[in-house]
Order: sequence, then structure tokens, then C-alpha cells
Amino acid sequence: MRLTVFNGSPRGTKSNTDILINSFLDGFMRSDGNTYELAYLKRIKESNNFIKLFQATEQVLLAFPLYLDGPPAIVKTFIELLEPLCGRADNPGVGFIVQSGFPEANHSRWLERYLKKLASRLNCEYKGTVIKGGVEGIQALPALASRKLLRSFYKLGKTFGETGEFDQQIVRKLAQPERLTKFQFWRFNLLGKFYWNTMLRKNKAFGKRFDKPYS
Amino acid sequence: MKIVILNGNPVENTGFDNYLKNLASLLESRNHVVTILKLREMKIKYCTGFFGCWVKTPGKCVIKDDMSNICREYICSDLALFTSPVIMGFPSALLKKAHERIIPLLHPYFEFIQNEVHHLSRYDKYPLIGLLLEKEGDTDEEDIEIISGIYRRTAINLNTSLCFVKLTSDLIEEVANEINSI
Ligand SMILES: Cc1cc2nc3c(=O)[nH]c(=O)nc-3n(C[C@H](O)[C@H](O)[C@H](O)COP(=O)(O)O)c2cc1C
Repeated sequence: MRLTVFNGSPRGTKSNTDILINSFLDGFMRSDGNTYELAYLKRIKESNNFIKLFQATEQVLLAFPLYLDGPPAIVKTFIELLEPLCGRADNPGVGFIVQSGFPEANHSRWLERYLKKLASRLNCEYKGTVIKGGVEGIQALPALASRKLLRSFYKLGKTFGETGEFDQQIVRKLAQPERLTKFQFWRFNLLGKFYWNTMLRKNKAFGKRFDKPYS
Repeated sequence: MKIVILNGNPVENTGFDNYLKNLASLLESRNHVVTILKLREMKIKYCTGFFGCWVKTPGKCVIKDDMSNICREYICSDLALFTSPVIMGFPSALLKKAHERIIPLLHPYFEFIQNEVHHLSRYDKYPLIGLLLEKEGDTDEEDIEIISGIYRRTAINLNTSLCFVKLTSDLIEEVANEINSI
């Protein structure tokens, strides 16, 4: 199976998206004969190549971070480039990975509807949308917790490499929690505050964290 | 009311731009103060996603371009009207580019709003949001519903709410009345 993966993170190779994609691809490549191409949408100068990569494959995986409840602008720019391909009979299958900072899958549900509609607009077979929240902290996560997450993406990629489909059981698990309880929020907020404060201190900006430069 | 109109039309298209111009004139005749920002003629880079605006220079993006003027204009307004043609079922990448660079106006800390995680306010007051769309050939009801759903959510994230969604096929008068009734 030939797969083209588009990394839609503005952080490019230094992104959380990249970490998830790499685990997915490790799994995907376990099947004999599978090949892939990986393109970074932030490299807008290569956009001619994006279209070629989209057309010259059997499956496309578009993975990106949630940005204000929608696709990042670089992903929307890419989607606009695909307009000439709408409705073509020979388009590849397309699946999506949306990962976000907030922990609840709930934030990405409207976008999921958009992506499903986008696939039908393009006349691509829709492979589904993998939603994973709470990803901003993964690079700071204890090894055990991140290993479990990466293991899920590995397995997701492995099944995809064998069947061309997302394993729906894994998709359902990754999308947990759909919403938070008050207590879960309290815990998330504690970790979150620690995360931001650490970065603020590292940049010697902690004292300025409540600045209002535009008032 | 002070109103900022974000013109997210990416290409010269007199129909769309004229609609906004006429809307602005009508609103001004009703004593509103209106600024139209033609995004395609401004220097706006893509967000690079490293949260410099929260952890390096709190409240300000580290990229120096026209976004600092847009942020100032935005936060001083009572209403921000997001406008764009619908392209591939969504507002333009140009509008989204400006939209996501507004996050310096938020604070990185979290808050539980409507039982969901969102960000704390950095400022005391944020403009209400309106959305004005121009349908393209294949835009249908479902597209408008999806865009509205996403904008209702994004409004919560921007510590405000979405007051209305209108189309350029609606009379200018109607849109102005909607704004007047806020
Ligand atoms: C401009 C901007 C907007 C964002 N908007 C959201 C959002 O609406 N909801 C959310 O859960 N996370 C949001 N995030 C957080 C990212 O989705 C999250 O940090 C993600 O893990 C980044 O992935 P990356 O490293 O692959 O770019 C936003 C981040 C940025 C920079």
C-alpha cells in the first residue's frame, strides 16, 4: 500500500503531530511492500509537490493540531490547493488525525464533520478522523504515559498498513475523554499551570504573564 | 458601537468588497464607528505555533508584522465581523491566518467554561463576533451549519459569543439591522 502523510503542524519537524505520525508510520511499515511519503505543509514553497503527492498515492493521511476549533491556516491553504481535484474519480482514500491541547475530544467534533464533508467534496473515500486531546504536554509527559500513547498510534498504523482502515476500537479509546468532570479539570489545570509557568520562568517572562500590551 | 470588519476575501472581487463598503457606510450613517481591514493587502505571516505570545513576550506575538495593529484594533472593538467567501466549505485560509494570530489576546492558563476547558481572559472585555459569508458554487446548508458550529466554538475560545451568521445574499439593510439590535 502506498501512503502519503501530510504533517499540517506549523511547528513542522518539531511538532507533536510529528511524534504521533512517526509512531503511526512505524506500525504502518510492518506490512511487506508498504511505502510512504511524508510532506510538511509548513513548507509552502513545496506546494506544487503536495498536489503531486496527493495524486500519486492510494491513501492520504492528513494530520494536524486543532487551531481555534478548526484547521491551522497552513492546512486550510493546502485544502484550497486541492480544489481542482474535487470530484475526480481517481482520488486516493483520505483519513485524518486531529490532535489538540485541550484534553476533551468534544472540541474537535465540529471539525470532524467538516473533514468528512471535505472527503466527499473531493470524492475521496473517507477513512475516518482520529481525535486525540491533551497532546500539548506529551513531550513533558513521564515516559510511561507517552509510551502508552505512542503504542496506540503504532497499533493504529499497523492495522492501517494491513487493512487500509483505522481500528475503530483504538479510535474510540483515543477520543476519551469526550468531556471532563470538574475534578478532571482541576487536575488538568494544575498540570497545565505548572507547564506554562515552567516555560514562562525559563524565558524570564513569569512576572510579565498578565501583561496587557494592547490596552 | 466600534466595529472592526476583517475582510478575508483573498482575491480582488469587487462584489464582495463593495458589499462590505456599502455595509460600512450604512453602519456609519447609524453612528457606528467602522474599520475595514483588508487582510490580503496586509503583511500577515502564518502562526508558527510555539506560544511565544504566551511564554516569551506575554500578550504579544514574537513575529513583527501587521498583526499587532489588527490585535489592537480587535481588542478595542465592540464587534468583530469575520467575513469571507466560502472556499472548499470553509472561510478562506487568509481569514484563518489572521484569526489564529489573535491568541496573544488570551492567557495561557485554563478555565472551565460551559463545562469545557478554555483559556483565561487576558483583557476585561472582548468584542462580540459576527460572521458574514459569501456562498460559492457548491456551498449548501450543511456547509453553513458546520462553519457556524465551528465559529460558535471558536467564540467561546475567544471569551465571547457568536451573535449572528449572515450571507452576502442577504440584504445589506438586514445585516445592519442585525448589528443594530446587538
Ligand atoms: C494558535 C493556536 C491555536 C490553538 N487552538 C487550540 C484549540 O482551539 N483547542 C485546543 O485544544 N488546542 C489548541 N491549540 C493547541 C494545539 O492544538 C496543541 O498545542 C497541539 O498539540 C500542537 O501540536 P503541534 O506541536 O503538532 O503543532 C492551539 C495552538 C495554537 C498555537
